[in-house]
Amino acid sequence: MDKQTEFVLRTIEERDIRFVRLWFTDVLGMLKSVAIAPAELEGAFAEGIGFDGSAIEGFARVSESDMLAKPDPSTFQVLPWRGETPGTGRMFCDILMPDGSPSYADPRHVLKRALAKAADLGFSFYTHPEIEFFLLEHGTKRGESPTPIDEVGYFDHSPHGQGYDFRRQAITMLEAMGISVEFSHHEGAPGQQEIDLRYADALTTADNIMTFRLVMKEVALEQGVYASFMPKPFADHPGSGMHTHLSLFEGDRNAFHEPGADYQLSKVGRSFIAGLLAHAPEITAVTNQWVNSYKRLGGGGEAPAYVCWGHNNRSALVRIPMYKPSKGNATRVEFRSIDTAANPYLAFAVMLAAGLKGIEGGYELPPGAEDDVWSLTESERRALGIAPLPTSLGQAITVMERSELVAETLGEHVFDFFLRNKRAEWQEYRRQVTPFELTRYLPVL
Amino acid sequence: MTTEGTHAARAGSLQGRLARLGFVDAARAVRLLSDPGLVGLDDAAVDDLGLAPDPDLALTTLSRIAETRARGADAFVAALDSDVVVRERAYAVLGTSAALGDHLVRHPEDWVVLRSDPDSDERPVAFASPESVRADLLRAVGADPAASGPSAGDAGAATYAALRSAYRRRLLAIAAADIADGATFIDVSAALSDLADATLEAALAIARAEHPADAAAVRLAVLALGKCGGHELNYISDVDVLFVAEPADGVDEADALRSATRLAQALMRACIAPTSEGTIWEVDPNLRPEGKNGALVRTLASYEGYYRRWASTWEFQALLKTRPAAGDLELGQAFVDLVTPLVWSAADRPNFVEDVQAMRRRVEDNVPAKDADRQLKLGRGGLRDVEFSVQLLQLVHGRSDVMLHSATTMRALESLATWGYVGRDDASALATSYAFLRTLEHRIQVHRLRRTHVIPDGEDDLRRIARSMGYRTHPVVELTDALRRHRLEVRRLHEKLFYRPLLNAVARLDAGEARLTPEAARQRLEALGYTDPAGALHHLEALTSGVTRRAAIQRTLLPVMLGWFASAPDPDAGLLAFRRMSDALGSSPWYLRLLRDESLAAQRLATVLASSRYASDLLMRAPEAVAMLADDDELTPRSREALVVEALAAARRYDDPDVGVAAVRALRRRELFRTSVAELLRLSEVDECGVALSGIAAATIVGALELAQLAVESERGSSLPTRFLVVAMGRFGGGELGFASDADVLFVHDPLPDADERDAHEAALAVAGELRRLLMIPTPDPALEVDASLRPEGRNGPLVRTLGSYAAYYERWSSAWESQALLRAEPVAGDEELGRRFVELIDPMRYPVGGIPETDVREIRRLKARMEAERLPRGADPGLHTKLGRGGLSDVEWVAQLLTLQHGHEVPGLRTTRTLPALVAAVDAGLLDPDDADNLAAAWRIATRVRDAVMLVKGKAGDMVPTDTRDLAAVSLVLGYRPGESGVLLDDYRRVTRRARGVVERVFYA
Repeated sequence: MDKQTEFVLRTIEERDIRFVRLWFTDVLGMLKSVAIAPAELEGAFAEGIGFDGSAIEGFARVSESDMLAKPDPSTFQVLPWRGETPGTGRMFCDILMPDGSPSYADPRHVLKRALAKAADLGFSFYTHPEIEFFLLEHGTKRGESPTPIDEVGYFDHSPHGQGYDFRRQAITMLEAMGISVEFSHHEGAPGQQEIDLRYADALTTADNIMTFRLVMKEVALEQGVYASFMPKPFADHPGSGMHTHLSLFEGDRNAFHEPGADYQLSKVGRSFIAGLLAHAPEITAVTNQWVNSYKRLGGGGEAPAYVCWGHNNRSALVRIPMYKPSKGNATRVEFRSIDTAANPYLAFAVMLAAGLKGIEGGYELPPGAEDDVWSLTESERRALGIAPLPTSLGQAITVMERSELVAETLGEHVFDFFLRNKRAEWQEYRRQVTPFELTRYLPVL
Repeated sequence: MTTEGTHAARAGSLQGRLARLGFVDAARAVRLLSDPGLVGLDDAAVDDLGLAPDPDLALTTLSRIAETRARGADAFVAALDSDVVVRERAYAVLGTSAALGDHLVRHPEDWVVLRSDPDSDERPVAFASPESVRADLLRAVGADPAASGPSAGDAGAATYAALRSAYRRRLLAIAAADIADGATFIDVSAALSDLADATLEAALAIARAEHPADAAAVRLAVLALGKCGGHELNYISDVDVLFVAEPADGVDEADALRSATRLAQALMRACIAPTSEGTIWEVDPNLRPEGKNGALVRTLASYEGYYRRWASTWEFQALLKTRPAAGDLELGQAFVDLVTPLVWSAADRPNFVEDVQAMRRRVEDNVPAKDADRQLKLGRGGLRDVEFSVQLLQLVHGRSDVMLHSATTMRALESLATWGYVGRDDASALATSYAFLRTLEHRIQVHRLRRTHVIPDGEDDLRRIARSMGYRTHPVVELTDALRRHRLEVRRLHEKLFYRPLLNAVARLDAGEARLTPEAARQRLEALGYTDPAGALHHLEALTSGVTRRAAIQRTLLPVMLGWFASAPDPDAGLLAFRRMSDALGSSPWYLRLLRDESLAAQRLATVLASSRYASDLLMRAPEAVAMLADDDELTPRSREALVVEALAAARRYDDPDVGVAAVRALRRRELFRTSVAELLRLSEVDECGVALSGIAAATIVGALELAQLAVESERGSSLPTRFLVVAMGRFGGGELGFASDADVLFVHDPLPDADERDAHEAALAVAGELRRLLMIPTPDPALEVDASLRPEGRNGPLVRTLGSYAAYYERWSSAWESQALLRAEPVAGDEELGRRFVELIDPMRYPVGGIPETDVREIRRLKARMEAERLPRGADPGLHTKLGRGGLSDVEWVAQLLTLQHGHEVPGLRTTRTLPALVAAVDAGLLDPDDADNLAAAWRIATRVRDAVMLVKGKAGDMVPTDTRDLAAVSLVLGYRPGESGVLLDDYRRVTRRARGVVERVFYA
C-alpha cells in the first residue's frame, strides 16, 4: 500500500525479525495476538490472515465463515523485550469479513467509523491519556488482597525505589516502540504510578494504550513485580483512572480555541462539552465497563460521580485545564470518568460521538460547577441541576440499553454483544457473597 | 443627401445579404464590416463569412483583430482576400473558438500558421513531426533544442507567457486542420498529444532554468498516462503524468529525489500558473503510487517495489497507457519496460474480478443527475465507459495475446476486432460512434478552451457546434439526430464488447474468421463474474447452435441476457435455468416473440432466474407463466375475490376431483409465481405480498373444498347432511402469509336440522380428510399444507367440531391463549351463513366486554416470556431470528394482540385479524404512541421481507437472517441493497428490531 509497508518488509530483513505478531482487540478490550513467519507477511498485507472468530469475545455470530486479520503497516514496531536477535515485530490489525469488507465486530473499525464521521464534519480527533496503574508484589493469590510495592505518595521520589526503576525502564521501552511519554510520576496511592502519553490522533492513541498495558506487564514481570490496571484494587486508596484530554482540529486549527472567549473556549468546544455531559450517563458502561469500575467512581476524591464541568475543578466530570496564552492549539477538555481498563477504541468512539452530537445539535453548555461536588448535599446538587453518573454496572447497562447514540456509534452487533456480556457479568457479580457481608452480618445475624 | 441615401440603400442591401448569409445580427455585422480595417474585404471574402459555423462570432473577432491596427492584422486581412485556404481556415476557427480568436487578437501575426506553406515542411503545420513541435516550443522559451537537457533562458513571467503563446499558436493550427480541413479525430487528438509532450518538455526547460543545480543532479523523465499517454488527448484535459528520477553520477539518492521534486513542481507551475497569456492545462500527478499522499517523484526501483507489492487493479489499468513524454526519454522507456509485464499480468491477481466489478460500478454510477442527458463522458455508454470497457478487455486477454497491447482506444478496438475478441462489425460501428462523440466533445471544448463534457443546451451553441461538424441544412436537428443514433450504438457496448464474442466462441463460423478461443472465453466469463465458465460455455453452445428460429433469436438475445445475469446474485444458475426454459418452450411462437423483442420481459426473466431459486422452480414446472413478465398489470397480484371465482370455475370443470384439484393447484402455482416476481422486482409492498399469498391460499382451499364435498357426496350417494366451514387462523387469518408459511385452519360443521348427528360428523370428517388429501396429492404443482393444530385441545382434539361443540368448549374451557388465537380467525371457505355464526360465537371471546381480566393479561405475558426462553432453537442468535427473536414477528404481533384483547370491545378499529392495521387503530385510539407503532411496523416489515427473501433466494424456508456470506449477499441484493452492502442490511436489521424490542418491553410487558 505505501512506503510504510515497504519499510516494514525492509526492517524485517535488516533486523532479522523471525516472528511477527499480529495484534487485534476483542470487544472487551483484551489484546489478542497471532504470530506469523515473515514469509507470510506479504500475503497478510494483501489478503489478511484467516482465523476462526468464534472463540474471540464478541466476534462470533457475525458470520459463520472465518474472519481475516489484515495488518496495518503504519503500526509496525519491533518488540523491545524479546532480545534483539532474532527479534519479534508486531502490528495492529483490522478485522475483515471473508469478502474483504470491514467486520462490524472489530473495535478498531468502530473507532475508525466514528473518526470518519468526524472527518465528514471537518474534524480530526486527538486524545492524550493520563494512565494510572498499580505496581504490586508478585504472587498475590487469587482472591487475596494485594500488597503494593511501596508506601510512598504523590510525586514522592525515593532514590532507588523500585517504582523509580520501573518507570525508567518502562519509559525507555515505550519510547523504543515509538510511544512518546509526556510525564510520569508516583501517584497518590501506595504503589500507584501515572504515565502520561503524548497527544496523538485517537486511533494511534488507542493502539498505544493497548501496547502500553502490555509493556507495563512485561516490564513488571522482568522486575519481579506485578502491574495491574484494575480500576480499584484497594478500598482505602484512590483507584486508577485514565483522565483523557480531548481536542478537535479543523485542519491545523484547534477547533476548541477562540481567543478572548471564556476559558478561550470556542462555541464548538462548548457544544462538545455539553454533548459529553448530556450523554455521559449512557456512555458510562463503555468508559467504565467493569463491576469494579464503579467502586472507583463511588469512592470520592478525584473520581467524578456527578455530571458537571468546571475550570480546574478536580471533582468535575469534565475539566477545562488551565489555559496557557502561548498555546492556542493546546485548548482541550479533560474527561475524567474513564478508567484504564476500558476498551480504548470503543471508549474513544463513544466519547467522540457524544461530543459531536453536542456540536451537531448546538447544545448549550450549562453553568460550570466551581465547588467540590462531593461536598455538596444531595439537595444542593439537585438545585444546581447536577445529575449523578450511574452508580453501578447494572445501572449503567440500563441507561445504555436505551441509547440510540451508543447503538449507532458501536454498530448494532457490538452494541448487542456488549450489553449481553455486561448483563451476564452483572448477574454473576450479584450472586457473590462478599467479605463485607461475612464480616458485618455473620457475627450478628 | 443623395450620397447618404445611396449609402443607406447599399447598406440596406448589404444587411439583407448578410442576413441571408446566416448572420443573426446583420445590422451589427454591417457596422463591423464598415470598420476601416475591414472595409476593403472583397465580396467573396464577405460571402464566405457566412460559411463560418458562427458568422457573428467570426466577424466580431475579425473586427477586433482589425482594430488592433497591427501590421500582422493588415497582412491577415489582405490574406483573407487573396488566399482562399487561409480564409477558409480562419473563418472556421474564428467562427468556432472564441478563445483562439482572443489569441489572434493578442497576436495577429500568428495568422501565418493558417497558411499552407509547401516549402517549410512536408506536413501541414498542425501535423508537424513531434521533433519539430518540440524544437519550436523549446526555442520559444529560449532553450536550445539540440542540447541534452535543454534549459530555458530564464524562468520569469515573460518566459511563462512565451510558452503559452507558442502553445496557442500551434493549437490554432491544429484547430484549423480539425475544423476546416476535416482532419480525423485520431489525427487531431494525436497532434494535441504531441503538442502536450512538447509543452511538457518546454516547461521542464523552464524548471531547469529555475533550478540549474538540481537539473545537474538528477535524470528526470516525465511519463504521460491517461489520454495523453494513449496519444488521444482532448483540447483541454488534465494531462496525467508520473515523474521518474535517477541520481546523476555521484549524487546521493535522497538529494537527487529532492532535486527532482523541485524540478517537477516547477514544471507543473510552468504549465498552470496564470499569466497575461492565461494558463495551459493542469498537470495531474495523482495517478502516482499512493495518490496525493505519495512521493511526487520516485526512482525506478521504488516504483518497481510499489507496483510489485501494493498496486491495485485500477493502477495497472492506468499504466496501460504509459508513454515517455518528456525529459530523459531513455529513463522513461526503462520505466515502461519495467511496468509492461506487470500490467499484462494484472488479470492474474487474486481480486481482479471484484476490483473490476467495483470499478465498473463507479464508472456507471457516477453521473450527476441534472446533466445526465447532456453528459458525454460519465455514465453508462459514456466516453469513459467505452474507454474502460476496451481497457478491461485488453487486461483480460492481453496477458496471453501481445497483439492487444495498444495504448490508444481506437487502435485497441481495432486489434480486438482483428484477432476475434470483438465482432468486426460491432467494433467498427462502435469506433465510428466513439469518434463522433469525441469530435463533438472537441468542438464543445474548443469554443472557450474549457474542460467540459456537457453538451450545451443553448440554441446558439448547438447551432455553432452542429455547423462546425458539417450539419448545414437543419444544423441543430441533424446534430441531435446523429447524437441519438450514436448514443444508442454506444449504449449497447457491453453487449457488443463483452458478450456477443462469447457466442462466436461456440458458434460454427466460416474458416479463417477470427474468434474467441475457448481459453479466452473462459478468462472473459470469469472476469464477468461467472464461477463455472466451462458449464456456461456448454449452455451457450446448446442455446445457440442449429439453424432453428429459436437458435437465431437466442443468438441475438444472449449477449444482453449474459449481462443481466452477471449483475444478479447467481449468474451461473440464471444461465442454466434459461437453458432449461428454452428446452421446454423453445418453439412456442409467443415465447420467441417475447424474447425477440428483447423487452422488459426478457430482462425480468434474467433477473428472476439469476436471483430466485423459488421463482425459477415455479417457472420450470410450467414455463408458460413467463408470459406475464411482459406486462406490469400482469404482475399486480390478483384480488382474492377474482381468484375464488376462478378457482371455483376450474374445480367445476372436472368430474374427477383429482383432475379438478390439479387445475386449482396450477392456478395457485401461477399466482405464486406472479406474486414472487412482484416481490423480487420490488413492484409490491410487503403488506400487499402477504395479502396476495393469503388470497391465493384461500382461493385454493375454496376450490379444493368444492371438490372434496362433491367427492364425499358421490361416495355417499346423497347430499351432505351438514354444512361445512373452513376458518383461517394465525398468519393465514391475518392476511400475512409468507412464501414459506403453512396455512393454519379450523374445521367447523353444522348438521342440517333433520340430520343424524353421528352421520353428519362422519361426513364432515370425510370432507376434511378429502380436502387435505386433495391439497397434498403429488402433482407437478407445489402442495399446500393445511395445519389444523390450533383447534381446541390441539392435536388431541377432534379434527372437526360442530358449531355447538365449539360453543360448549369455549364456554367451559376457554383460556387466554385460545382467545388470543381466535383474534386471527377468519372464515375463508365453505358455508357463509355458518361463517357468520361462527364469528358471532367467537367475538365475545376475543373482544370481551371490559377487556380481558388482569389475570389473563399476566398469563399471556408469561406465556410469551416462556416462549422466548424455550422456543428459540439452541445456538440461534436471538437478534437474527425473524420469527421468535428480539423485535421479530412474534414480538410485534403479540403487542397488537394484547392491545386488541384489552380494548377490542371499545375500539372497533382493533377488531381486525391483521397486525399493521391493528397498530394503526391503537394509535388512533390513543393506546399506542405513534413512534412506538412506527418502530413496531418497521420491524414487522423488515422481518417479513427477510423471511420472504430467504425463501425466494434459496427455495428453502429459513427463520434466520442468513449469516453465510453468499446467502446474505444474495438476500441483500433481493431486498434492494447494493452489492457489497450486506453488512448494512445486518446493521439495519439489528437496529430496527432492537427499537421494536424496546417498545415491546415497555408496552407489552409493563
